[in-house]
Amino acid sequence: MLVSYATLGYPNREDYLRLVKGLVEAGSDILEIGLLPKYAKYDGPVIRRSYKQVSTWLTDFWSLLEETRRAVDVPLVILTYLEDWVSSLSQVLAKMKEVGIDGVLFPDLLIDFVDEYEKYVNEIKSHGLSAVIFTSPSVPDPLIHKVSRLSDMFLYYGVRPTTGVPLPVSVDSLITRVRTLVNNKLVVGFGLSDIEDMKKALKAGADGVAIGTVYIEEIERNGVESAISLARKFRGILDGA
Amino acid sequence: MANSEEIIPSYWYNIIPDLPKPLPPPRDPPDAEFSRIDLLRKIMPSEVLRQQFTVERFVSIPREVREAYINIGRPTPLVRAKRLEEFLNTPAKIYFKYEGATPTGSHKINTALPQAYFSMKEGVDHLVTETGAGQWGTAVALSARMYGLNSTIFMVKVSYEQKPQRRTIMQLYGAQVFASPTSHTEYGKKVLNENPNHPGSLGIAMSEAIEYALSNGYKYLVGSVLDVVVLHQSVIGLEAMKQLQELDEEPDVLVGCVGGGSNFGGFAFPFIGSKKGSKYIAVGSYEIPKFSKGAYNYDFPDSAGLLPLVKMITLGRDYVPPPIYSGGLRYHGAAPSLSMLIKEGIVDWREYNEKEIFEAAQIFLQTQGIVPAPESSHAIRAVIEEAREAKIKNEKKVIVFNLSGHGLLDLPNYESMMKRIG
Ligand SMILES: Cc1ncc(COP(=O)(O)O)c(C=O)c1O
Repeated sequence: MLVSYATLGYPNREDYLRLVKGLVEAGSDILEIGLLPKYAKYDGPVIRRSYKQVSTWLTDFWSLLEETRRAVDVPLVILTYLEDWVSSLSQVLAKMKEVGIDGVLFPDLLIDFVDEYEKYVNEIKSHGLSAVIFTSPSVPDPLIHKVSRLSDMFLYYGVRPTTGVPLPVSVDSLITRVRTLVNNKLVVGFGLSDIEDMKKALKAGADGVAIGTVYIEEIERNGVESAISLARKFRGILDGA
Repeated sequence: MANSEEIIPSYWYNIIPDLPKPLPPPRDPPDAEFSRIDLLRKIMPSEVLRQQFTVERFVSIPREVREAYINIGRPTPLVRAKRLEEFLNTPAKIYFKYEGATPTGSHKINTALPQAYFSMKEGVDHLVTETGAGQWGTAVALSARMYGLNSTIFMVKVSYEQKPQRRTIMQLYGAQVFASPTSHTEYGKKVLNENPNHPGSLGIAMSEAIEYALSNGYKYLVGSVLDVVVLHQSVIGLEAMKQLQELDEEPDVLVGCVGGGSNFGGFAFPFIGSKKGSKYIAVGSYEIPKFSKGAYNYDFPDSAGLLPLVKMITLGRDYVPPPIYSGGLRYHGAAPSLSMLIKEGIVDWREYNEKEIFEAAQIFLQTQGIVPAPESSHAIRAVIEEAREAKIKNEKKVIVFNLSGHGLLDLPNYESMMKRIG
């Protein structure tokens, strides 16, 4: 399973729409769309740069989400910080459903809202949306086990404490361990930095990978088309694995 | 009786997968002009960093590090404090794990050795760190030398002045020692500009050491607070667990003092993880009231804000600790894992003032003969109170504490405590 991430509106309206279409044509199974947060707490420098750029012009993100929906037919999962929505969650989730979003992933759910995560998961589901749960190596084993069954579509496992900083972690041993706890599809991401990491993740039992930072770096360097070619390459690795 | 080498574990224990809740990850501040998480990659040896973010429950100790542990006299003894029990006339049994028995006189060497070893393996030739009491600096100086590396130590100015012997030991081991704040770094210059007589603090010295490592391409060793340090220190608790087993003792109460939390965590976490014991007491200083007055917040571990934010119990990174004689406790925060366990009510805390810990140190040295480090005397005070309570309730409990270091190089401090407190 290839889950591709794009920051909503990055690098600009047109190129963003070309990017999401291209990522799907290249074989992405699911698109994860990042909404500009107030504080990108758990994002690394690269994704923060993309937010910063978007913050200079994007005001009406709902209409761009609607356009995204019209542009592609794969499931769309919104990546957004729960912190930004706690006071208006129900309205926001209803609106997401209305514009055709399929699922929601809150990266801060098990970190800053761990005492009430079940309430929030139920709230997402009650709007007919999929709740994709984000876990990481610092989530205790019993909790990973518990939430793996609650998570819709797949369980997201972020191997590094922040996106896109290639900290030395043992991707294979982390995944080998978490695999035994998860009876659900396991998608690994959040700082998968290269092909080697990807291969290791798949070999260790991941059902899919989530890719984001590398696309943004590629867009910064060589533009959208080049990022789309990368997605094709990742698809190839997944199919060959 | 197992032979002593069998008592040294072949793996370190990591409590993160056994915590009651996810440990909030380190993060960059909002609108950061550079990524602190990325900075870690530049300043820390990469195997140390990998271990910092590893969440395997057990991390194997390289054979060479295990041999180095043997070379410095591990396992350290677990001693029954019989005379102390008699003095207190308590039905409780008291044991202490004696980390002062290492050559550098404290537990700090347990993490300095592996960090220096991993640095050497990566081709690093110069290590930099900060030190408060001088214990950590001494451990780094010796570990660097054992692996043929150079070292530079930024020593908090009050300690540099109060503990010239510590400075001498570090220099004998071959380290270069500076009194922080110094004018060797931009941060030090800034602090001196605002207050030329600044007594220094661990936070400032840490910031200077990081800056110095970064600008010279050296590696920085972390002495406390971070998970990887607590991981290495678990050798204390793992040994103690085996030693207690050999004696057929089940511990009830486990006690340690807290500066950044590494000796406490290293000692107590293996017990917590294997559900041995029913009460864990972390002891801080009354003069630096992080447990009673600190907030549980994301804060910088260093006062310059060069390291990533971590969620911990903290008095704030700008807090200037008063110049108490327990240099190792002069720190604004406590390790994230320990902070969480305190917040969750799994670990209890106490805070004692200098008078209380001085009395405890006197009782201990007059009954057991060992001059405890002033830091460790905080733990002793809590042990004495537990033993007295056991007497009132007539409970035969087993109290085990970590005697994190000896105080033979703190005699000038004891002398002045004697004059003031008597
Ligand atoms: C003897 C001794 N005990 C305790 C400490 C406190 O540090 P930590 O809480 O990391 O063990 C120090 C620190 O220098 C020390 O030297």
